[in-house]
Amino acid sequence: MGQILGYTALLLRAYARDRTALFFGFLFPLLFMVLFGVLNFGGSVRVDLAVVDEAKNEQSASFISTLQKIETLRITTGARDAELAKLSAGDRDLVLVIPSDFRITPARPGTSVPTLTLYESSAQPEAGAVGRAILGSVVNELSFAVTQTAPVVSLKREEVTGRNLKYVDFLTPGIVGMTIMQLGISSVAFAFVADRQRGVIRRIMATPIPRRSYMAAHVLQRLILAVVQVLILLAVAVFAFKVTVVGGLGSLLLVAVLGAVVFLNLGFAVTGLLTTENQAAVATQIVTLPQMFLSGVFFSRDAVPAFLRPIADYLPLTFLNDALRDIATTGATLADVGGQILGLVVWAVVSFIAAYRLFRLD
Amino acid sequence: MPSIVSVRELRKSYGQIKAVDGVSFDVEEREIFALLGPNGAGKTTTVEILEGLRQADSGTALVAGVDVRKDPSGVKERIGVQLQQSAFPENFLAREIVDLFALFYRRRVDAMAILRSVGLEDKAGQKQEKLSGGQRQRLSIAVALVNEPRVLFLDEPTTGLDPQARRNLWELVRAIRARGTTVFLTTHYLDEAEALCDRVAIIDGGRIVALDSPPALIQALLGRGFSKPLVQQQANLDDVFLDLTGHALRED
Repeated sequence: MGQILGYTALLLRAYARDRTALFFGFLFPLLFMVLFGVLNFGGSVRVDLAVVDEAKNEQSASFISTLQKIETLRITTGARDAELAKLSAGDRDLVLVIPSDFRITPARPGTSVPTLTLYESSAQPEAGAVGRAILGSVVNELSFAVTQTAPVVSLKREEVTGRNLKYVDFLTPGIVGMTIMQLGISSVAFAFVADRQRGVIRRIMATPIPRRSYMAAHVLQRLILAVVQVLILLAVAVFAFKVTVVGGLGSLLLVAVLGAVVFLNLGFAVTGLLTTENQAAVATQIVTLPQMFLSGVFFSRDAVPAFLRPIADYLPLTFLNDALRDIATTGATLADVGGQILGLVVWAVVSFIAAYRLFRLD
Repeated sequence: MPSIVSVRELRKSYGQIKAVDGVSFDVEEREIFALLGPNGAGKTTTVEILEGLRQADSGTALVAGVDVRKDPSGVKERIGVQLQQSAFPENFLAREIVDLFALFYRRRVDAMAILRSVGLEDKAGQKQEKLSGGQRQRLSIAVALVNEPRVLFLDEPTTGLDPQARRNLWELVRAIRARGTTVFLTTHYLDEAEALCDRVAIIDGGRIVALDSPPALIQALLGRGFSKPLVQQQANLDDVFLDLTGHALRED
């Protein structure tokens, strides 16, 4: 154990001297954040929400006034057909229809609950996603407020809806996920292909250090790096970009480390198939590039075309990003993102088997 | 003298090619022993079997009293190696490389003292990849000494070095032997073997074709009636080169 920790410490010290690795590990993701965040690439999301009030009662009016207090939403009211036409034309991001039976009272057994209908434009996926998230929390908040079942939770929801969800808030978890993926895949592929080609691993294997200890130190080093990367990215996001991280830091780190395990396994599996650094350059792109665009790093996954959904929904980065984003932007707990965690665990097992079969030191 | 490396009927094939084809020899304690041979003769395969890096198909090899086949990691504990075509990890300082390898042997060492013993104490704080070829070879030997090995294996240690760096390395090898370590090297520079080694084994086609001290081998050849056109020269081009450029080590 002392040997593994000592080796890990020396690896980290050498890493701190490696300008290229530092650039790709720390500066590169921050550059992305600056580029998309400061230049406001996605715009600080303003959601044009048209409300079609078919109830026109006191309660629907108070519901609409609640919505109007939310900064992110730009509320207009109008008739259903006219607003739906504007949605198709791209003048509205979302149309919310309040049904004529709308009321805010506790549901009695046997009576139906009024159903709000939300129309989205597939042309505006980000705004749609943000608006949907906000409306979802407002409805939850109302339900809690009326039924009085969980005052503590309702207080927390208040905070969620009260703040202005900016694009960087949405972007930050995506950048964190992307960085973990890059760390897992690229840092393994390039380092091990180069060390194998140059005879570094051969030289080390001529000493009595067990292979298991050698591997353990390299994995541990990268897991520590993943945690440091997440902390630095979050710190920059919070202090420089005023990003609000709602959920717990511990949950974020736990999910991040689980994600790092998955991507390290994938990295080792891929590296087993490679012999040269040129191959590594191609292979890492093949693995990472599709996930950059299909797994919701910069934009909502709603933008993914329908025929790619079945794939996109099960990519490891999708599970990681969704979990990180739910925790960071809506304050989800680990239990709330249990589905995503399960997805990551399945990937971790499958990718470990692949890495065990494919990876070789010589 | 007791033998510290003892090889009997060693064989290793790669497909149809018999890389090592029944090799037997002994290396005595505290000698400088060389395995000579053209490329592909089986030098590196033999050495790597002795270092515990490859499994022989058959035959036995004892190194420092340990059976290589039964306990490769026990052999690795007792020997020092310098491999052909190998490198150290990048972004490590020279002294960190020494610490790193000491860690692999679970030993605590004075990295500076070890670097001093190979004349690299002023390079301790430099990244190893910034060292010159000769300096890197000396670092490589320093690293091979961290576990105070009984036998030091050097696989073509002077390939690619300039004449000054070569002479310097010879001195280093002699000093290591003087401290009581057996040195087992491979080379295809015959002048090196003649100048440095107590005994040499010549290997060709996976077999040992001769084994003796350099003067004895030469005598044996002359005894077989060999003669070459007599050119009586008191110096050779190597001497000219060193006379003109001096013995001092160059830092490139």
